[in-house]
Amino acid sequence: MKRMRQQQRLEQEPPRIKWRIVLTGLFLTALYLAVGTKAVFLHVVQGPLLSQKAARQYQKSMVTQGKRGTIYDSRLQEMAVSIDTTSIAAYPGAVSAPQETAQALAKILKLNPTRLKKKLSAKRSFVWIKRNVPPKDVEAVKALSLAGVGFIPEHARVYPNRTLAAQVIGFSGIDGQGLEGLEFFYNDHLKGHAVKQIVMTDALGRGFDAERKILSDYSGGNIILTIDRSIQYIAETALAEAATTHCANSGMAIVMAPKTGAILAMAHFPLFNPNAHGEYKRDLWRNRAITDPFEPGSTMKIFIAAGAIDSGVCTPNTVFYCEEGRYRVGRNVVHDTHPYGRLTLNDIVKYSSNIGILKIAEAMGRNALYANLKTFGFGEKTGIECPGETGGLLTAANRWTRIDMGTIAFGQGVSVSAIQMVMATAAIANDGILMQPRIVKALTDNNGSLLQTFEPRKIRDVIAPETARTIRTIMSSVTEEGGTGEKAAVDGYTVCGKTGTAQKIDASGTYAKGKYVSSFIGLAPCDNPEIVVLVILDEPKTNHYGGLVAAPAFSKIASETLNYLNITPEEKLQPDWNRRMTIAKMTEAEME
Amino acid sequence: MVICIMELFAYTWCRVQCIGMGYEIAGETQNHQKLLKWQKHLMVELARLKSPDRIVRIARTKLNLVMPEPKQIIVIQ
Repeated sequence: MKRMRQQQRLEQEPPRIKWRIVLTGLFLTALYLAVGTKAVFLHVVQGPLLSQKAARQYQKSMVTQGKRGTIYDSRLQEMAVSIDTTSIAAYPGAVSAPQETAQALAKILKLNPTRLKKKLSAKRSFVWIKRNVPPKDVEAVKALSLAGVGFIPEHARVYPNRTLAAQVIGFSGIDGQGLEGLEFFYNDHLKGHAVKQIVMTDALGRGFDAERKILSDYSGGNIILTIDRSIQYIAETALAEAATTHCANSGMAIVMAPKTGAILAMAHFPLFNPNAHGEYKRDLWRNRAITDPFEPGSTMKIFIAAGAIDSGVCTPNTVFYCEEGRYRVGRNVVHDTHPYGRLTLNDIVKYSSNIGILKIAEAMGRNALYANLKTFGFGEKTGIECPGETGGLLTAANRWTRIDMGTIAFGQGVSVSAIQMVMATAAIANDGILMQPRIVKALTDNNGSLLQTFEPRKIRDVIAPETARTIRTIMSSVTEEGGTGEKAAVDGYTVCGKTGTAQKIDASGTYAKGKYVSSFIGLAPCDNPEIVVLVILDEPKTNHYGGLVAAPAFSKIASETLNYLNITPEEKLQPDWNRRMTIAKMTEAEME
Repeated sequence: MVICIMELFAYTWCRVQCIGMGYEIAGETQNHQKLLKWQKHLMVELARLKSPDRIVRIARTKLNLVMPEPKQIIVIQ
């Protein structure tokens, strides 16, 4: 009944209303279709683009540089480490009041306010204010809440031992690139890798669900040196004392373990502090023991004597006439410091006779002499892992005149590097076996796992073991009473050595008057050498003889190093109980 | 309808927990980094304190120690 009434009412309605309903229905359908189409368009066509756009609002991409690896000494004490620091930068567009900001920043960071204001007003999107700022200053700047000032986390290189082995280790720049020394040579191994991280941020820009990557995984590898920082300190202290006492321009000292070729110390004077390398002259930065060639002087005589004995030209007792201190070679005259008559080869080395060694060289002949020096490694690079190595200068034998052969025999007219001298002397200490000098013991990854070890490597046999022992006996006479190197003697140990005093060439290419390179090279103990030590002083003013200037420094380095290495004294000495030591009680405050 | 609402609440709760956990992880990671940084600073400080220069200075000036002469060394067999 009710349905019938409804039917009747619809039939009574005018057709206009029917049309309205149809139109509304069509309109709503079109609307739904439009919304649907747009939704499909947004999801299917523009989907990836919009997703990226949205991600940009809640994802932040950060590029972080991994830390530079650590350099350790042979006992795993840190020589160079990287620490986290903060640098302060500005975004000039966002700086609202450059004048006030510059004033405030300059006061805390101790910068020039005018220059800083110029920086802050620059039409650039980013400017550095100050790199590697101390934490105290960073906190002070943060407290100011300055608009447009940002804090960038960075790494700074620190050398905790300051000047110790500075020339060997070198330093890295503010951008973490090695610039000098081992820092430069092993830059690829030491430097950290750049890491791109996606950080999720909320509406306030706070990071969350990030830092999944452990940054330490991107640190550079580590280096373990053969250098022992205690021996390095001993060598540097003795060298500095000798250089200061004798007013030398500069100096070098090397300590090597002859059996392995490991460099235990490589000291320089003057030193520089790699933490503030910019405050020192560039000349002080390089590792002169590796890069600088010099005329060795009489220290060369031991290699000539070794060659002569090894080739059978003469024995330690073969006598040579030393012309009473004056010997003419063509148009040139060769002198000895003291006039000598007949001397055995042993005495020629002991008293360092130039004429005597010249005659031995003549007896050997130029080709044998050249081959002998080449065998000892002169005239070519040693291949040590340091940048800028010099090979020295040893001209071919066919270009030598008679006087050239003579002067080369007593170490003038030939140039060598300090490392070559030590390597060659170590061969005498090592029963005639020439070992590869090495300053790096091992490379490890950022977790300390071993990547590569550098084992002792034999280069070649240079002389017979008996010849080496004979030369050591001859060299031991140098440090005995009457020898030129008396002052190199070490109580309790036998010491073999040779003094050297070479004239220097000036800018005009001639030998300068009063300018010498004084040196002493030696090894100890004589029977079973554990160390080879070279001391070189450039232009000492108070005296120029190697036996007076460099030998005492050698004695000090050898004595303290043998003691440090627990090498038992050879001679039984009566204990000196009179020399007592007073141990004072020390408080913690005093320690600081 | 009730199940649908329950699911909605459960999902919301999960999301809130997830975000909260994200903040906690970020905070702990930051803390970890901070501690690592502090450890590194302490290592540097230790290396500086153990530097031969400082040890020798203290030994010589405060403790009145000297390098032993070979005569003073007794080898214990």
